[in-house]
Amino acid sequence: MAPPEIDARRAGLGILVVFLAPALLVYAGFTIYPVLRTFYNAFHAIKPQGVVEFVGLSNFTALLLTDSIFWKAVANTAIFTIVATIVDVVGGLLLALCLFARAPLAPLLRVVWFTPVLMSYVVVGIIWVWFYDYDWGLANAVLHWLGLGAYEQSWLGHPSTALWSVLVAHEWKWLGFNMIVFLAALHALPAEVLGAAELDNCGWFAKLVYIIAPMLRTTIVNLLVLSFIGKMMVFDLIWVMTGGGPLWSTETVSTYVYKRAFEWNTFDLGYPSAIAVLWFIIILIFIAIMTRLLRQRDRLEF
Amino acid sequence: MATQARFGFEQVRRVPLVLFVLLYTLVTGGPFLWVAAMSLRTTAEIFKAPYGLPAPAHWEKFVDAWTKSNYGTYFWNSTFVVVIAVALVTVIGAMAAHCLARYNFRGGRLVHFLILSGLVLPPQLLILALFQILLDINLYNTLTGLVLVYVATHIAMTVYILEGFFAQIPQDLFDAARMDGYSDFEIFWRVTMPIGAPAVFTAVTLNFIILWNEFLFAVVLLTDDEKRTLPLGIMHFTGSHQLDVGMAATGLMIAILPIIVIYAFFSETMIKGMTAGAVR
Repeated sequence: MAPPEIDARRAGLGILVVFLAPALLVYAGFTIYPVLRTFYNAFHAIKPQGVVEFVGLSNFTALLLTDSIFWKAVANTAIFTIVATIVDVVGGLLLALCLFARAPLAPLLRVVWFTPVLMSYVVVGIIWVWFYDYDWGLANAVLHWLGLGAYEQSWLGHPSTALWSVLVAHEWKWLGFNMIVFLAALHALPAEVLGAAELDNCGWFAKLVYIIAPMLRTTIVNLLVLSFIGKMMVFDLIWVMTGGGPLWSTETVSTYVYKRAFEWNTFDLGYPSAIAVLWFIIILIFIAIMTRLLRQRDRLEF
Repeated sequence: MATQARFGFEQVRRVPLVLFVLLYTLVTGGPFLWVAAMSLRTTAEIFKAPYGLPAPAHWEKFVDAWTKSNYGTYFWNSTFVVVIAVALVTVIGAMAAHCLARYNFRGGRLVHFLILSGLVLPPQLLILALFQILLDINLYNTLTGLVLVYVATHIAMTVYILEGFFAQIPQDLFDAARMDGYSDFEIFWRVTMPIGAPAVFTAVTLNFIILWNEFLFAVVLLTDDEKRTLPLGIMHFTGSHQLDVGMAATGLMIAILPIIVIYAFFSETMIKGMTAGAVR
């Protein structure tokens, strides 16, 4: 035990200020203050030339009661979030199992499959816009080649297919991420348990459902929450691929916030701020519910 | 690897497995090869045969894209913003993480909570107010303003990654350094940073990739063509030259190539960096 005069866990105020001030100042100025200002904006009408007018809750009531585009955006975001989160986790686990089952070249494929995760949404979006191009895109070319020419269509141009087409592109980018996380978790599993299951003549599907999935519970919960948060805020890919169209069919809450703030001639930052605040609160509530519901009550020890 | 044979996935039929693995590899890698081929072909050639090989290869398209289509400017803007932002966020994030992990002080838990709560803030909650704030302080449409925003919005993740690692460094090392007469700052710079280097490297990788690809803050906070970062430049070019697919593909390759080259050499570091928040 070190004598008190050289206790390295104590520091004078000056030292603490030197270490913490740079981070705290930048963080306070460009993260905490903007958040507070957004909450303030949500209760005001913010017009150009610094005109600020208190409007109480009217942004929120207008949003919830009369704004049909907002509800369309909520519905689209909900569909996107639920489907993409499930595909992320199930697909990621299946890909990881392929490599874990000792597919040939697994160490190399692990690296290759992860590559799309490193690309920007702009790059991914443009590649997929070309992929879906009506005249020369690969999607229609493959259908044509398979003799399914009747199904050729303008994938991003039609309200009934646009959201799903963007979703496929999104999963192409993110599946590799979930695969890597699951693969790390799989390699951390105790060999004895899997070996014992084999001795009991347990089929691979039964092993997956009854043994592996329960043991991966923590990883699955983490990925569900992480994926959920990401999807609730989806903006870039939608913006690049469809801009929210056609006919609001891919409008999400985030693209709607951007449009109301910078593209519509309403010239009011208060209303989109109210959307952002409301959505943030909803995300927080869902995170709280998910972690509570999914948290393991009796912890598996292994 | 020998023990893995006993895991018993051998019951899975091999042929479907190999076929599926091949197909998925094609789905992942194919689009990159397609863009690479297109980046060396003219638009006329592409429209004649979208999936042809680049023969002859038009390497001069890269020179054209770099000089005439402004991709050179976009590239250097991105490099400038990302290098400075990553350097700043790493240093000030590491200082804060060191302080939180090493010293006991009143208010420490509050500071910790305040910084880490930044992990759950959606960018949409900040972006409208940041637009107003940067206008107020005359940093709207400047690379400096974008750097400040990038630093501020990535402090939370940086501190999160570094603090966990720094806290595991044995206290004895610090006591010994103190006995040897190191000042507080020397302890940070000559004990914490070298020992915490793997975590620092992870944080740098993660921030670098995320910021190199960042789109939302940049699109709201920059307007001049001369200031656009690479993602904005590509988006702008593709939007305004919708029919010049060939040149757009060359632009995409300029964005893709640096990442692929770095990834080829540091794949494990980049995988570890990108998944740092999810793998425990």
